[in-house]
Amino acid sequence: MPANPDGPDAGRLAPARGTPPAERLLNLVIALVNTSAAMTKQQVRAGVAGYGDAPSTEAFERMFERDKDTLRALGIPIVTVDAGGHSDDVGYRIDNDAYALGPVDLTPAELGVVALAAQLWSDKTLRTDMSRAMTKLRAAGAGEAASDAVAGLAPRVRAAGDAYVPLLEAISERRDVSFRYRAASTGQELTRHVEPWRIAARGSGWYLVGFDRGRGAPRVFRMSRIAGRVKVGSRPGAFDVPAEVDVDAMLGARVGAVRRARLAVVPERAQALRARATPADGAGPRSDGRDLLDVEYRSLSAFADEVAAYGQAVVVVEPDDLRADVVRRLTAASGLDATAGAGPREEEEHRG
Amino acid sequence: MAERADDRLVRLLGLVAFLDDAGPVRVEELAQRFGVTPQQVREDVDALWVSGTPGYMPDDLIDFDAYSLEGGLVALTQARGMTRPLRLGTREAVALVAALRAMHASPAVQADPGRASVVASALDKLAAATGEAASAVDVRLAGDGDPQVVAAVTSALGEQRRLHLRYVNAADVASERDVDPLRLVTQDGSMYLVAWCLRAEGRRTFRVDRILAAQVLDTPAAEHDVRDPDADVWASVAHEAAPVATLVLASAGRWVAEEVPAESVRDLPDGSVEVRLRVTNPAWLRRLLLANAPDVLSVSPPEVARDAASAARDALAAYGPAPGGTPAGRA
Repeated sequence: MPANPDGPDAGRLAPARGTPPAERLLNLVIALVNTSAAMTKQQVRAGVAGYGDAPSTEAFERMFERDKDTLRALGIPIVTVDAGGHSDDVGYRIDNDAYALGPVDLTPAELGVVALAAQLWSDKTLRTDMSRAMTKLRAAGAGEAASDAVAGLAPRVRAAGDAYVPLLEAISERRDVSFRYRAASTGQELTRHVEPWRIAARGSGWYLVGFDRGRGAPRVFRMSRIAGRVKVGSRPGAFDVPAEVDVDAMLGARVGAVRRARLAVVPERAQALRARATPADGAGPRSDGRDLLDVEYRSLSAFADEVAAYGQAVVVVEPDDLRADVVRRLTAASGLDATAGAGPREEEEHRG
Repeated sequence: MAERADDRLVRLLGLVAFLDDAGPVRVEELAQRFGVTPQQVREDVDALWVSGTPGYMPDDLIDFDAYSLEGGLVALTQARGMTRPLRLGTREAVALVAALRAMHASPAVQADPGRASVVASALDKLAAATGEAASAVDVRLAGDGDPQVVAAVTSALGEQRRLHLRYVNAADVASERDVDPLRLVTQDGSMYLVAWCLRAEGRRTFRVDRILAAQVLDTPAAEHDVRDPDADVWASVAHEAAPVATLVLASAGRWVAEEVPAESVRDLPDGSVEVRLRVTNPAWLRRLLLANAPDVLSVSPPEVARDAASAARDALAAYGPAPGGTPAGRA
């Protein structure tokens, strides 16, 4: 060490004085990788550059605990070695077998694909995770990324929100969770206790799929309706996730058979609908000049939304339930300019 | 803003592992690889140079060839055991594998077998290297669109060729135009083609499920000065200068608030929710109201409500009296 710690290069040459956190963490990693057996906390405090900065034992303990959490979050496997039973004897080292990334060997085109996949997320936390993951992959020696294979594609998913990180941790460690949840049907907030199975993104929504302990049944929760913090249970391995979780069946997004609607459409209108339609068989010309078209659909309510949005351009001929659903929407819309308050409303099927 | 310590740590470890394997590398090349400035690379080397194992005597430290560095070449001479690249954390691996899986299953990738196979091999390698079987997160990217249209759009993007489109807009008006494709964005449940429209001489966003036909032309796509092709697709519907519309939705209509480009969303004490929108396109707002009216408790300004209500009355008139003589809507 240089004799004059206050010299112009003090910040660089004297890690013990005001060491930047990144360098303290780096020195801790190098020490714990190279230690022959393990290092106790005292050895870390006395020996590893940066920890001498801590003004008190308490400050050192806090710093060391935080640093261990930081390193573990980065994927650095710190293990504890219990030497004798007294807590001061607990040693720490890095599991060198678990430290390294397996061989990846990405071609430039594959790295381009991975770089694009890393852009998918909009949450700040996830974007930070992804930029770190890319740094690690680039360090693993992948060549220049080539983006030709996925030129022009820009897949995005909406931010998953603050619940994502605790829920993912809970799923990975099979811990139960509880959170306040606002029910869609009533707007009421209730506490739900859930064994989390999957986080799923569909359309523009993020969902938690799991077993609702209060209801005694599997349930789907829209993550944007989780209010406040997700509390994660203390016990890992608290439940088993079923081997097969059919997220789509639970979301009801694609369930139900394909059905066919017959629509009477004003000529030249509803072009996007026409692109999916087949001319209706065996139908004579209509007196009102509309074209008769057959269109297939699965979700009654989603298709009723689409048809209602076309207004007078599209009239449902059959089936009756679709016709009634569309008319119900239009009837409600026809009253939007009435000054009186809205009448009693019906509960809609769950829309997710 | 100062860089986070953990982000810098990952790069510091990454630099050592990479240099140990790669041999001497120029500062500029490292800067490009790790996405930082050359100045930052030099600061990183300075930090590494004083780091090592406890004792911190010269032989304990990570070391570089000082002479090479003066010439702009970073040559690692002592790695202190930090030669192997760091594995991905659980969260990183889960998110990356889930994203690759979602991309692989998306119509934009499946439209081209070559592209699908590159994504599949990247996914396989990542899953193998991270040991991440990632079933915790399951992402499905939207993809409602005519497969032939999606195939034409993706191949035009790949080959940088001009496209001829037949498109129907939110007001249900069809048009034909030539465009130079810029991006195929998947966002919020739909696919959007961001392109330079030669007819409008500007950047335009097209919803892929409203492209009726797309044909790849022999003409190469021209270069256009488009500031931000990755900008939010809602920019085509919502604009900060557009007039404000305010909807109050019943609790059951909450999902609407979650799917529109809302300027603000406020929970009201009775469980309903107030959404403020700035909408440039009245036809888009009319459609939204027609589809969701049963959950709409109020709309302002009044002309927006009148516009939707009158469209609804026209539509009900088209249904005429329901069979059996009961009025439409009571069927």
